[in-house]
Amino acid sequence: MLIWVCALHCEAKPVIDFYRLKKSHDDNAFDLYLGDGMACIISGIGKIACAAACAWIAARYRQQPSLAWINLGTAGARDHELGSLFSLHQIIDADDGQRYYPAPASADKIPGSACMTLSRPSDDYRDDCLFDMEASGFMYASLRFSSAELIKSLKIVSDNRQVKTGNNRPEVSRLVQQRIDSITRQASVLVTLNDEIAALSPTTEYWQRLIALAHFSQTQRNRLRVLWRYLMNRNFDAEKLLAELAGCPRESIIKTLEQLNYQDSEGL
Amino acid sequence: MASRVYVETEIREHPRTQRLLQRMRWPAVIEIEHYGEVFNPRSQNFRLQKKDPAIIIARKNKGHVLAAPPGYGLGGEYNYYFSHMLNCMYDCRYCFLQGMYQSAHQVLFINYEDFGEQMQQIAAQHAGEPVWFYSGYDCDSLANEPMTRFCEYFLPRIAAIDNAWMELRTKSTQVRALLEIPPLQRIVSAFSFSDRVSHARLENGVPTIAKRIDAMRRLQQAGWPVGLRFDPIVYHANYREEFVALLEQVFDAIDASAIHSVSLGSFRLTRGHFRDLSRLYPDEPLFAQQMSLENGIVSYPRERERDMIDFCESELLQRIPRQSYHPCAWHD
Repeated sequence: MLIWVCALHCEAKPVIDFYRLKKSHDDNAFDLYLGDGMACIISGIGKIACAAACAWIAARYRQQPSLAWINLGTAGARDHELGSLFSLHQIIDADDGQRYYPAPASADKIPGSACMTLSRPSDDYRDDCLFDMEASGFMYASLRFSSAELIKSLKIVSDNRQVKTGNNRPEVSRLVQQRIDSITRQASVLVTLNDEIAALSPTTEYWQRLIALAHFSQTQRNRLRVLWRYLMNRNFDAEKLLAELAGCPRESIIKTLEQLNYQDSEGL
Repeated sequence: MASRVYVETEIREHPRTQRLLQRMRWPAVIEIEHYGEVFNPRSQNFRLQKKDPAIIIARKNKGHVLAAPPGYGLGGEYNYYFSHMLNCMYDCRYCFLQGMYQSAHQVLFINYEDFGEQMQQIAAQHAGEPVWFYSGYDCDSLANEPMTRFCEYFLPRIAAIDNAWMELRTKSTQVRALLEIPPLQRIVSAFSFSDRVSHARLENGVPTIAKRIDAMRRLQQAGWPVGLRFDPIVYHANYREEFVALLEQVFDAIDASAIHSVSLGSFRLTRGHFRDLSRLYPDEPLFAQQMSLENGIVSYPRERERDMIDFCESELLQRIPRQSYHPCAWHD
């Protein structure tokens, strides 16, 4: 599951259009757009709003085996041209100095940049970093649910010392739209990584059926999870296994799965 | 080559940092205050990170040289280890380094002089007695040699301390830096080998067995002391035949009578490392094998382990002098 987090609808619109995401009418805490294996949440401006949106959507998708995240938004810069796209490699919270290191750009050469997250808008730009208002809140929250390799923050320059377009919503959408190919290529790479991690978790339905076969203690469940996960990753037939184990006492179920693990790993 | 490098701001202008960056053709450089900011956070996935690890150039501030754990060593009384790097460019599934750190990034410490100074102090504390310094505990000693130039600094340093010995432990073929200088008799290059099946299945990115044997042969012919490390021995259905084949391959090229030392040990990990690794690689057969827990160490059940060690030991001792054999005595 890939989650896009944008402060404003105008920042998200090119992504919503590209993936043809549909607005969810079941939720009213945040505007949410859904597609196949993908969601886009509009958090509102500021790091607290962004962190709240991340936590809310992570709770909504808590059954997902793995979540990947992209924070897409605009940023201010001293000298960079409007429309320049950056993948953040360092995010500094201006209030508490906390630093975060999201995954760098992959697949194609989007330049990296540091970014300082401010609580209030400022055009007192520094030459070594971008300014934004969400990235540190995004990192703070998303790191609770996923590893840094599955988290990216992409920023498009909307304001610099000469020109300010951050408040011009159609122009913000146009700047993002200009970069949609690079942005979606980043998303594809992240989805592939996320799928790899998600595939390591066994299907919930089979797992539930396995633990319903007998009354297992928590320790036995922990052991079962390791054994079952290995067999599922080695493409054992879950239906067939469950049928063979049905009616067996719990110790025998564990022993059978252990033997299968040992036999399968003998040849390495 | 790493796609990005993190550098501690304090050492950004250090000559070794500058040389490293030039060598890496100036990839994306990200300045940090302390390497722990990037290396230590919990929310990192070692498995994913290992696909594209970054380099972190840092300064080590304390604990440069540490006493080796009990049972580690080649029979000497004073054993120390040090790590000028953390993590390894190779990806061996049995290696404890996978569970040791949160991160798969490689940390290169550039303040070699601080390491050297501490070695000198420690050697002076044991004047007249041999003191062993083991490199390659938290990294591969030679794999990054063209970048780190570890040998250029440390070899003459050790040679100048009368009672200091050093082990370079490696799976690499990077021996050029040694071959360019006259051999030093208190520097032992120890090559780790696993049999063909374990190598193919578990040692990702490691040079072939044949290439490593050739590197070892060249060192031995040039007069350098070399050692063999068959550790860990991993169980699989054909481990006996494969171990014999490995020994034959090694001793076809290496003069067994001139080997400095040979050690042998079966696969083992601390309970915590084993648990972390089996979570990280739930699809890995190595972690699905039958294991037992003893004194906080996960390893093969005693009987299987004994069979493996007895067999390998007996094959080994048919080929090497007994005095050069040093079993890994981790049960003690």
